[in-house]
Amino acid sequence: MLRFILRRLLVAIPTIFVVITVAFFMMRAAPGSPYSIQRKLPPEIEENLKKKYHFDEPLIVQYGRYLSQVAVGDFGPSMKYEGREVVDIIKQAVPTSAKIGLTALFLSLIIGIGLGIIAALRQNRFADYFASTIAVIGVCVPTFVTGPLLVLIFATNLGWLPTAGIGAGLKSFVLPVIVLTLPAIAGIARLTRASMIEVLNSNFIRTARAKGLSGSTVVFRHALKPALVPLMGYLGPATAGVITGSLIVDKLFRLPGLGKIFFTAGIQRDYTLVMAIVILSAVLILVFNLLADIAQALMDPRVRLT
Amino acid sequence: MKRLAILLAVGLMGSVAGCAANKASGARMPCPAGKLCLEWGNTSDPVSLDPHKTQGTWESRIVNDMLIGLTDNDAEGNVIPGMATSWETSPDGLVWTFHLREAKWSDGVPVTGEDFVYALRRIMDPKTAAEYASLLYFIKNGEEVNAGDAPPTALGVESPDPRTVRITLKHPAPYILQLAKHQTMYPVPRHMVEKYGDKWTDPEHYVSNGPYKLVAWKLGDKVTIEKNPLYWEASTVCIDRVNFYPTEDPGSAERQVRSGELDYQGLRLNRIAYQKREAPEYVHTHIYLGNAYLPLNTGSAKLRDPRLRKALSMVVDRDFLSHDVMLGIGMESAYNFVPPGIAGYPNPPEPEWAAWPMERRQQEARRLLAEAGYGPKNPLEIEIKQRSMDVTATQASVQNDWSKIGVKTTIITAETQIAYQYYRTGDFEVGDAGWIADYNDPMSFLYLMHSKTGAMNYGKYANPEYDRLLDLADNEPHPKKRGEILAQAETVMMNDNPAINLYFQIYGNLVSPRLTGYKDNISDTHPSRFMSFKDASCKAAGGDSTPTR
Amino acid sequence: MSRQPSAFIPGSRAGAAAMESAAVQGRSLWDDARRRLFRNKAAVTSMIVIAVMVALALVLPFLLPFKYNEITHTDVLKAPLQSGHLLGTDTLGRDLFARILTGLRMSITIGIVATAVALVIGVAWGATAGYFGGRIDEVMMRIVDVLYSLPFIFFVIILMVTFGRNIILIFVAIGAVEWLTMSRIVRAQTMSLKNMEFIESARATGLTAGQIIGRHVVPNLLGPVVVYITLTVPGVILTEAFLSYIGMGVQEPRTSLGRLINSGVTNMEQAPWLLIFPCIVMAVLLLALNFIGDGLRDAIDPKDR
Repeated sequence: MLRFILRRLLVAIPTIFVVITVAFFMMRAAPGSPYSIQRKLPPEIEENLKKKYHFDEPLIVQYGRYLSQVAVGDFGPSMKYEGREVVDIIKQAVPTSAKIGLTALFLSLIIGIGLGIIAALRQNRFADYFASTIAVIGVCVPTFVTGPLLVLIFATNLGWLPTAGIGAGLKSFVLPVIVLTLPAIAGIARLTRASMIEVLNSNFIRTARAKGLSGSTVVFRHALKPALVPLMGYLGPATAGVITGSLIVDKLFRLPGLGKIFFTAGIQRDYTLVMAIVILSAVLILVFNLLADIAQALMDPRVRLT
Repeated sequence: MKRLAILLAVGLMGSVAGCAANKASGARMPCPAGKLCLEWGNTSDPVSLDPHKTQGTWESRIVNDMLIGLTDNDAEGNVIPGMATSWETSPDGLVWTFHLREAKWSDGVPVTGEDFVYALRRIMDPKTAAEYASLLYFIKNGEEVNAGDAPPTALGVESPDPRTVRITLKHPAPYILQLAKHQTMYPVPRHMVEKYGDKWTDPEHYVSNGPYKLVAWKLGDKVTIEKNPLYWEASTVCIDRVNFYPTEDPGSAERQVRSGELDYQGLRLNRIAYQKREAPEYVHTHIYLGNAYLPLNTGSAKLRDPRLRKALSMVVDRDFLSHDVMLGIGMESAYNFVPPGIAGYPNPPEPEWAAWPMERRQQEARRLLAEAGYGPKNPLEIEIKQRSMDVTATQASVQNDWSKIGVKTTIITAETQIAYQYYRTGDFEVGDAGWIADYNDPMSFLYLMHSKTGAMNYGKYANPEYDRLLDLADNEPHPKKRGEILAQAETVMMNDNPAINLYFQIYGNLVSPRLTGYKDNISDTHPSRFMSFKDASCKAAGGDSTPTR
Repeated sequence: MSRQPSAFIPGSRAGAAAMESAAVQGRSLWDDARRRLFRNKAAVTSMIVIAVMVALALVLPFLLPFKYNEITHTDVLKAPLQSGHLLGTDTLGRDLFARILTGLRMSITIGIVATAVALVIGVAWGATAGYFGGRIDEVMMRIVDVLYSLPFIFFVIILMVTFGRNIILIFVAIGAVEWLTMSRIVRAQTMSLKNMEFIESARATGLTAGQIIGRHVVPNLLGPVVVYITLTVPGVILTEAFLSYIGMGVQEPRTSLGRLINSGVTNMEQAPWLLIFPCIVMAVLLLALNFIGDGLRDAIDPKDR
């Protein structure tokens, strides 16, 4: 196990390196620059600006400098929001995104697994269709529709919840969490249903049934754990994804999350900020995938870590 | 409630209990007991709070509450004494002497004439790369310093003693008093800027001389300012805290105002009619010094050709835009760049074709297109880059007008800030812009098209004759003559069609009826220090709000 | 490692993950599968619904009295059934019904084209990696890993600012991201196929690797690939809607369901029909596609028997 983790971490380092390289050159190859606004300025000002951010050097030198800075954990100041460190901007944004995203993930797991089990137990019968339909509806209406609709009902008309922002404590998070939860249910339910059906048809469950154990005991004692193993593969990247936030939810509910900051930074060519967020999400994906693999191995003795 | 019922049919929720609009929402941002908090929908995140770097109204709205220049705004945006209690000018109108009051920065350090000298040199210093610097080219050596041809010390500004600021001008500029309350002429705290550099705008370091000081600034969340006890009229200020929110989704922000979560939100033009119907007690509209136009990039491969620009401009149906698309909110079609009603300005006549019927305009436009080598076999293809905050309908309507003369138009939508970036970099063919005067003077519009204006001259328009007339007007001490020269310049510019004028602006604001001291005015300026709430015991200097109309 | 669900947006990711684990058993007798598929009422109904929608989107625009891009100055914001507009008009007086049909056609086209792009790249990539294995496989899949680790929005922004924004690019952009999952499914499937007897005998007859992949491996991947496709199409349609929302989708006066819904949201209080009707069409379309996908998976996957 330890050997496996070490090996994976060792592989992760070149992967991250390649991600940084690809992202760096893609970003720089894209037209525009954080300062292209000043094109009309006298040339000497442009020189000053270029010097300040080393744009006057060959790209490969800039790349080298960036790598050496990142290697010691220095992600530099934002190029757009003058006087702000990239790390500080991210640090401010991550908690909001993570709180909302993880809660939504947790909720969608509970609902999705529940619906998946019901569907699997009543395969191809009414309950199956019903559960599948409920699960799928969430993914059929875009979030930017559910969001405003929920706001209209629960905030504007009923006045129970705030319409936007994070000022009202826990209440502020209710609608964003719901909006994120709905579309995630379908996938989880689908996964659970498929693997549950497989497990229920396997020999050891048949044996358990033959021994005369009741339906619910079989399901929850014996079938559930192996049935959830494939879900881990989904959970890894999903967890990484929610921490880096959702652009739509950030926009709809005016949340200070990473999703919107990343998007704006990309459009504004805030190189340092974009790169830092790309690196962050790549690291998160690698880490959570590793955790998912470990969890899979712990849950299912048949899975071997190699 | 029928609409709500229909909406529900889209299919999310089962039942909704009482549907009565709940105005007294518990969702308002918590405010310390006994304090008054103002919640302001501010449309966008500021990129900077440095008065020398800000450009957007959403940025200056915040900075105006914190810093005070030589003059200041009253509740209606008129000039009143600010840091300067009095001033006098030399007979030739070239030297202005301002006498400062005794005042302190919010950290207790006195504000001196040196802070003004430092600030003006800083904004003109090419190293600062301030985009608005060209606004101050009327100061002696302003342009030279900004171009790097003279040291910042050569700028025509000095402080003979800590309580006096003397500004020497290149040419008479009576509008200096208007500009003295504009952010470009604000003082900055030299002691903090020198110590912290770019980081002086961090909430920990930002010190101000006005009614409010910066407390927090969290990207994507809000900017918070609180009352500055060291402000000289602090005792008259009622609102203790103002939160500015980047309300990029206007629909949602409007709902928040009506649920009581926000006290203010600017309305998009296409929402005014609707809100007037639904919530008349919230809607304030007023004429203001602004235009809406489509800048045409005179540097782009196609629109370099003036015939094309003219053809495209002629066939835009302004009346449909200003009356139908805007749903009859009182907008006026524009064929000129400078709005009517500016003091001392004889607006030049509209172009001749403005009076033609549309068929004739289209005929003429087709002829111009053909002359430029475009026709049915080789249609002109044009790209409009529009701001996402703007009304999509405007552009689609323009697209439709153009299709009638065989022009193929693509519309691209970008987030507001990003769209402006495209315009400034010249990365567009047709833009979508509006301009709100910085001060009540035709020059405040016309300088946008001066070839030396730089990034803000989106279309990179350059006509030596136009430049010459503007420069001439600058040296004309006689107001009436000055106005005539400027009008002549506008005519020259309009013949070149560097922009398609659409309509003159009115603004619409959604304002909580609880708010007092909110005054509608031509510059859409609403300083927080004059405001309070109806149910609060503190009565602010602004008095009652202006009635809605 | 599986696809990063970039903040939950596109819908079919998890389904694809399920496919990955099920891929190995994905071969089955097609007759058998067809019979089982047609016994699935939800799937059959959905197929009819889709067929009707496609037919309407293709034919009706030519029969309607209004064009989707025809601006009628006198008919601004008419409610349904007013002035002869079945579903009302938008803020420019354009007929909503005509716009929905055009939007539907656009959304379906985007779904199909983007999925086709993903399919071609994904199958070629996955089959090659899986067939050769070893170092080639290692390198190719590492590339997939790296691309997985780059956020979707990042690709979108780079592509859009680099190449401007046109429809073809939207197809390619979406397809170019979706192929990653496809390549994984195909690779896993190919690896299980390549040691089977018929491949070995093909090899023995002297066919080149390319011929074997083309003639023997790819046709046998059909089952899981078909299922993946039906789950990708709705995902792509949603992704396009998302792009419309952030202002990077289809451009005016062309329209898509996503774009219509987005403008419906802006006007939902003053003109609810602008939201409701496009939304219903989108929901029905996606529901039907999802049911077909589920039905296909159940039919092809032998676990279900």
